[in-house]
Amino acid sequence: MSSPGPLATAARYARLTWHLSAVSVHRLTEYRMDFLLGAGGLVLRVVCQAAVVGMVFRQTPRIAGWNYHEVLFLLGFSLLPRGLDRMFTDQLWVMARKLVRNGDFFRYLIRPVHPLFALLSERFLYPDGFGELFTGAALTWYAADRLDLRLSAVQWLLLPLLVLCGTLILASVKTLFASLAFWTTNSFPALYAANQLGDFSGYPLDLYHPSLRWLLTWLLPYAFTAYVPATCLLFGRTGMLPWLFAVTAAAVTLALVVWHRGVDRYEMTGS
Amino acid sequence: MNAPALRRYAPFAASSLQSLLQYRSTFLINALTATTAVGVQVFLWRAVYAGRPGGLPGGYDLPRLTTYVLLAQVLGLTQASRVDEEVSGEVQRGDIAVSLLRPVSYPLSRFATGLPVSLTNAALVAVPVVALYALLLPLTTPTWGGMLLFAFSAALSLVIGFGVNLLVGLAGFVTTNIWGVRVVKDSVVAFFAGQVVPLSLMPGPLAAVARVLPFQGMVDGPLRLLLGRYDGAAGAAGILAVQFGWALALCALAALAWRGAVRRVEVLGG
Repeated sequence: MSSPGPLATAARYARLTWHLSAVSVHRLTEYRMDFLLGAGGLVLRVVCQAAVVGMVFRQTPRIAGWNYHEVLFLLGFSLLPRGLDRMFTDQLWVMARKLVRNGDFFRYLIRPVHPLFALLSERFLYPDGFGELFTGAALTWYAADRLDLRLSAVQWLLLPLLVLCGTLILASVKTLFASLAFWTTNSFPALYAANQLGDFSGYPLDLYHPSLRWLLTWLLPYAFTAYVPATCLLFGRTGMLPWLFAVTAAAVTLALVVWHRGVDRYEMTGS
Repeated sequence: MNAPALRRYAPFAASSLQSLLQYRSTFLINALTATTAVGVQVFLWRAVYAGRPGGLPGGYDLPRLTTYVLLAQVLGLTQASRVDEEVSGEVQRGDIAVSLLRPVSYPLSRFATGLPVSLTNAALVAVPVVALYALLLPLTTPTWGGMLLFAFSAALSLVIGFGVNLLVGLAGFVTTNIWGVRVVKDSVVAFFAGQVVPLSLMPGPLAAVARVLPFQGMVDGPLRLLLGRYDGAAGAAGILAVQFGWALALCALAALAWRGAVRRVEVLGG
């Protein structure tokens, strides 16, 4: 029996994603209160963050060369990949915390799909991410409107690609740090720490010390999830764009390699 | 609290301390979280001062604001006693049934388990983080009087924080998405507590809302006392009195909520 071609495989995974996402929507309607709390909580978090930005700009018209609406645009844009990533890879948190430690991870190895897909599919379309995605989109839209931002046709085409690359980078960082659990059994602290540093990326990197900027660009490439795409759309700065694609490819590759190494050395519990 | 009561609740504190020291990585997480949060705020406000050589309204110069932002995170860290997580976890797993059988007051036993977490975080996380920033940035050195008032006020803020956390934990009786409730708490409560921005830098209406909420007693109150941002002895006494009132009110509210919750609890199995 010959194995199916790459196109057929891709189509199968797309169909599965669609189907499992539909299942999630059912769950969402079952636990409406939970959804409102989760998504609403994330909305409130963004509102508080935006309020801080507002208060900063009550004192001064510009920080590090950015005006109020430009910073809001950056903040809003940073939430688009974040929200998407949260909607599709939330199960990595559970894995980092306990799936390897308590041995439950083996469940994903005996399904007829890629183990990473099997793991993530447990929580596809995790509804809480909608909160971030919608507020992010609303904030970006509002700021763009206030700035009278006119995107060129190329920028419009680029926009979904930039969001996708940002999502892939975030998902790769998460996969990489969650995979460390294969060696340490619990990688939650490492994943949490890496995720925490992402908080810096909602503001212009020009604010920070050069060493921190370097770290956020080349070591934990959060810069490419918000700052680089936002400056490209706002100011037409395209110098870093080639790097964006290179870094996305590198991050995905590295995460997958570490993941596979980890799965290879995973041993089931004897029970 | 009298001696027999102390003897009754001391084991809760001791076992909490033991389990805490088992999972030492938590301290590292907390330290990094606080360092990052302070870092973002400090960089943001330094840029504001760069554009405003005259300083900010409310008497906050850069070292004083840096001190505020840093100690605000430290207070937030100290109040994060895991009570919310543990109470809601017990409710969800049904373990609460075991706690109900014990001949102790549940809220008090939770306070006894939360206190070591707070104190250990203060000692093992807050001190290094403050030391790190003291090396990196100019800070304001508080007066001895300020520190004394702050000690009282910080103790009261712990009680207020405990009340809020217990109420959040008890929300586990109503919803299974306690994570969502905690996101709300971590952002809204922290915001109105003044953990991100001092109340005096908020626009008028927002500051007015913050002042009538109990949360300002968690961060803004203690730090105003420490940094001398009050009017004379009467002002200082006022801050402490308001804190004390809220501490009592929140504890009473949590006790009421607990009673109501116990009445509707149903646990599966025998």
